[in-house]
Amino acid sequence: MALLTPAFRRWSQWLAVLWLGVVVLVAALAPVLPLPYPPNSPDLANIATPPLEAVGHWLGTDPQGRDVLSILVFGARTAVLLTLPAAVLAAVLGALAGGAAGFWGNATRLAVPYWLLGGGVGWWALQLPVPLLGLVVAAVGLGMALLFGVRKQRFPSWPIPLNAVVVGAATTLDTVPRLVLVVAMAAGTGVSIPGLLVLLTLTSWPLPARLVRAQMLRVRTLPFVEAAQAAGISPQRVWMRHALPHALQPLRTSLPLSVAGLLGLESTLSFLGIGLAPDVASWGRLMATIRNEPSAWWAFVFPALCLIISIISLNSLSRHRAAQEKLLP
Amino acid sequence: MVGVALRRLAQTGLAVWALASVVFLLSYRDIDAAVRLALPDATEATAGPGAGSAADQATQQAALRQRLGLDLPLFYLSRTTDPQLHWVKWRWNGAHNQYHHWAMGLARGNWGVSFRTGEAVTARLGRALSFTLPLTGTAAFLAVLCAFGLGQRLARRPRGHSLLQAALVVLHALPLFVVALALLLTLANPEVVAWFPAYGLQAADAGLDTWSQAGQYALHLVLPVAALTLTALPELTLHLSGALTRELRSDYATTARAKGLTEQAIIRHHALRNALLPTITLIAELLPALVAGAVVVEVVFALPGMGRLLADAAAARDYPVLVGGILLIGAARLLALLLADLVYFWADPRIRWHS
Repeated sequence: MALLTPAFRRWSQWLAVLWLGVVVLVAALAPVLPLPYPPNSPDLANIATPPLEAVGHWLGTDPQGRDVLSILVFGARTAVLLTLPAAVLAAVLGALAGGAAGFWGNATRLAVPYWLLGGGVGWWALQLPVPLLGLVVAAVGLGMALLFGVRKQRFPSWPIPLNAVVVGAATTLDTVPRLVLVVAMAAGTGVSIPGLLVLLTLTSWPLPARLVRAQMLRVRTLPFVEAAQAAGISPQRVWMRHALPHALQPLRTSLPLSVAGLLGLESTLSFLGIGLAPDVASWGRLMATIRNEPSAWWAFVFPALCLIISIISLNSLSRHRAAQEKLLP
Repeated sequence: MVGVALRRLAQTGLAVWALASVVFLLSYRDIDAAVRLALPDATEATAGPGAGSAADQATQQAALRQRLGLDLPLFYLSRTTDPQLHWVKWRWNGAHNQYHHWAMGLARGNWGVSFRTGEAVTARLGRALSFTLPLTGTAAFLAVLCAFGLGQRLARRPRGHSLLQAALVVLHALPLFVVALALLLTLANPEVVAWFPAYGLQAADAGLDTWSQAGQYALHLVLPVAALTLTALPELTLHLSGALTRELRSDYATTARAKGLTEQAIIRHHALRNALLPTITLIAELLPALVAGAVVVEVVFALPGMGRLLADAAAARDYPVLVGGILLIGAARLLALLLADLVYFWADPRIRWHS
């Protein structure tokens, strides 16, 4: 691409970081910024006024008389508070699940007493039918563990299908497009911001999990992992301290892309009127108002520009990191 | 090969079933809201002065619950908490529960009845699908066609098309609803140019002969199809041109060039098939993805299709329709996987020999 010479790339990189920094800063400082109008108080004297026409409404007002600038600021707050934690949580969840699935596969075995102990305690904690049965099973497991421990025998063990569980869950979530899934589930789980955050996290962890799992399958066979195992370090420690940091490499490029995808998803959801309550300011909802008032271009152009520049910045950040990785040996 | 394909199909089928079950079982969380919304005069009854009393409403709701089978327990097991003792009790309900009835009905081809209109879910889904399938099918076809053309051009002269590439990158960053709204505001806006109608497809088909009806229909579909195509295009094109560029740098392409073949012939007869393999997966993803895209496009352009039906069902807590929609999209996904496997089989002789 002739356009992306190194100098241009460096400049676009700086611009992207600058823009994203401004958005995050504005989102963090939104409650203390000196805005002329709060986002949720309609100014009924100035309905759908163009930018700079009414006093104090620098970017105009929407058809309900709310100030576009303050909706933009508080919409940035909603977007950042929703997408950044969701992307990070999904990456952490995906890294742990995918890393474990890639490192241990289906082969790792757990001794039967621990199975009994875990199952029994789980049964009791979930209060499944006859909770006492769970306690009895847990006690049997504990007894077996003590008995075998005293006699220094090896326990019989059962394999844990870790890989099958993680890959199966990821496949299940990937069968239906994310938007449809979130729309269907948002109907059943309510519309608060934490609820939506959980929903977004649960529907976006499969991608990081797949990436980390694939990388872990490669890292697992490298000599330093073997050396660590030969040095007698416990498998958990090898996994956590030695293998996982290397398996996290693909997340460096996928995290900005994941945030960009979530940004688009969040604004699409609020554009459709699903997910967030009507009084939560958001870019997507502001853009939706133009369908009632087609001449109010300012209610569409400003949030659309914010959204598009953010997504392009995140994409270029990700591409830059991918290019950096290619330069590494 | 056949074994692997069958196993993947079985896995995906199981996954679709699990998802539909989860959405079905999540419905218990606000089944009261669903019943309230399903009552025909839910808003008037609470607002109007001559509306029935609270007791009337309660009887109406109870009757509705009984008619829809919502008075049965939800699942094989149900859990009740004793308010005084805080002692959790589990009850085995046997086969007489909502989930069992739903699953058995599904096996017999009965997808349930919409809470909202009382119609069969299959009828509503079928009507919506007969509208959405032409929309998404045309968009998918156009996107693949354009991607092939543009991808080949980009791969042939990567330096000469930097503007096109930049445009594709920007387009890739646009969410679908922004594209759809921008098209709507520029090409169907009386204040700019109104070449295409914005809304009102159903009002158009009264008192016209077949040809003008078809013309109206096509005119209404132009903008939605354009929006869907424009959002599906960049990823496909960039992917394909990337794969083609890689293939054109390989040794067999150099040999072909040394034989004196034109660049076009090299692409068409040598490189394209190899570059196609990673793209097939993307094309297979396109079909379910376009159904999701239809949610946005049909809401923007007010078209009576599948996506609109799903969005409305989600807003109105119409669970049978929602679950039916998820099953249908999952079925589309299954079909896409099957097709992708067949195309792989055709495109790559190595897969054929290994099986």
